[in-house]
Amino acid sequence: MARVTVSSDAQITELAVNDHACLTFGEPDELIDLTAAFVRDGLNGGLKVIWLSDSGPTQAVTELARRGIAVEAALAVGQMAALACENYLLSGQSFAAGQAMIWLIEQMAASKNEGYSGLRVALDMSWALRPIAGVEQLPDFEENVGKVLTDPTVSVLCQYDRERFDPVTLASVTTLHTKSVAASTYCANAVLRICRQYAPPGIRLAGEIDLHAEEALSLALAEALRLDGDITVSMAGLSFIDVTCMRLIVNLAKSIPAPRKVILQCQPKVANRFATFGVTEVSSISLEIVDDQ
Amino acid sequence: MTSDAQGFPRRDRRIPAAPPDALPPADRHTEPILDHPVDGDSLYQLRASVAAHAVLAGLSPRKADDLVIAAHELAANVVLHGSGHGRLRIWLCDSTLHCRVTDDGSEPRKDSAETVRSGEEPGSPDPSSWPIEPGHGLWLIRQLADDLSVRRAQGGGSDVTVSFSFTSPDGTDGTRPAVS
Repeated sequence: MARVTVSSDAQITELAVNDHACLTFGEPDELIDLTAAFVRDGLNGGLKVIWLSDSGPTQAVTELARRGIAVEAALAVGQMAALACENYLLSGQSFAAGQAMIWLIEQMAASKNEGYSGLRVALDMSWALRPIAGVEQLPDFEENVGKVLTDPTVSVLCQYDRERFDPVTLASVTTLHTKSVAASTYCANAVLRICRQYAPPGIRLAGEIDLHAEEALSLALAEALRLDGDITVSMAGLSFIDVTCMRLIVNLAKSIPAPRKVILQCQPKVANRFATFGVTEVSSISLEIVDDQ
Repeated sequence: MTSDAQGFPRRDRRIPAAPPDALPPADRHTEPILDHPVDGDSLYQLRASVAAHAVLAGLSPRKADDLVIAAHELAANVVLHGSGHGRLRIWLCDSTLHCRVTDDGSEPRKDSAETVRSGEEPGSPDPSSWPIEPGHGLWLIRQLADDLSVRRAQGGGSDVTVSFSFTSPDGTDGTRPAVS
C-alpha cells in the first residue's frame, strides 16, 4: 500500500493577520468548510469579516450557520457581511482591477472607522470562470492586493476552484499570494476522498471506503483525535463503508475521553450499518442522518 | 428476533452444518448470473457488479445494499485472511438469490480471525467492550442475510454462501428496520 502523505499547504487556521492567501478547493463542501473556519476564527478574534461568495449571500449564510458559526448575530451587528461578487468586486458583468482595489481599500478604512481591530476578506473567484469583461486584469488585482496588505490588521483569502480553473491561471495567481491554503487531504482518488474538516472540526469522507483506505483513515482519525472538543466524521457523501473502516471509527469513538463525543453524520443506509454495529449503544457516539449531497 | 445480553438484536439462526451438495441447489441446475474474480485489486468493481446484478434481478434496494456489503465482507475475508484469490458467483433460484464466495487456496493464513467452521456462530459486537475485534464481518453478514452457510470446498479452500429471498415471510422487505 502506498505511503499516506498529507498535503504541505498551510492550514486555514494558521493564517496570519496580513496574509494574502490563496485557497484552492476541489468541491463546494470543502470551500464552505474552509471558509467557515476562516469566518469563525475572524469573528472570535473580534475582526470584521466579509465574504464575497459566488453562490449568493443567502446560501452562504445558511451553510455557515449549518456549521455552527454564529453568523446571524454577527450580521445583525455589522461584524460580518455576506455579499455577492456582482455588486462589489464586479460592476455588473465587468471587472476592473482598479475599481476592485478601490472597493477593498474602502472596506479596510470602514472597518477601522467602525472600531474593529482588523479585517478578514474572503473572495470567491469563481466569477472569473464566466465570460466577464476585464477578467484578464485578475493577475493585476491579485498583485495590487499584495501591495496594500502591508497593513498588519488585514488578511485576504482568495478562493479558487482547482477543478475548474485551468492550471496556467492557477499557477500564475498562486505565486502572487503569501500562502497557499487547502484542506489536509489523506486520500484522494477516483473512488474515495478523505480530508480534514475544519468547521465543525473532524474529517470528511466521500465516495466509497473499504479496507484499502485503512492506513489513510487511521491517520486522519488519529489527527482528528488531537483536536479539541467533539469530533465530527462527516460522511454525507459516502455511499459505502466496510466493517474494517467502521471498526476504526467506532474504536476511535470508544477511546475518546468523556465528555468528548464523536458525531457520525451519514446517509440513511450508512447510518443503518453503524446502527447494526451497535453504535447507538455507545455513549460517546452521536449518530446523525443527513441527506445525500 | 431476540436480543443478546447486551441488548443486541439478533436472529435465532445458527450457521447450518450443511453437506456440500445441499448448498445451494441453484448451481446444480442453472448457470450463475455473475461470476467475478475475487482479489485485493477488484473489490470496488466487485461491489459495483454485485449491485448492478442484484438490482437487475429484482432485489429491493435495501436488500441489494445488504447483499453488496455481505459480498464485500466475504471477498475481503478471502483477501485478508484466506489465500488472497477466489471467485464470487451469484445464482437465482426460485425466489432466492444465492451469492457464493469461494476461496481458491488450500492454505488459509494462520492469522485468520474470521475463519468460521460450519456450526460455529461468530461473536456479536459488544458495545461495552473495547476495542471491537476482527470477526464482526461475518456477524454483520448474519444480521443482513436470510441464510448463511459455510463449507469446505474441494481442493482445500472454502465456500461461504449467503442467500437473500425476494420476499420475507411477513411480506416486508425482510431486513433490519431503518434507523429513526
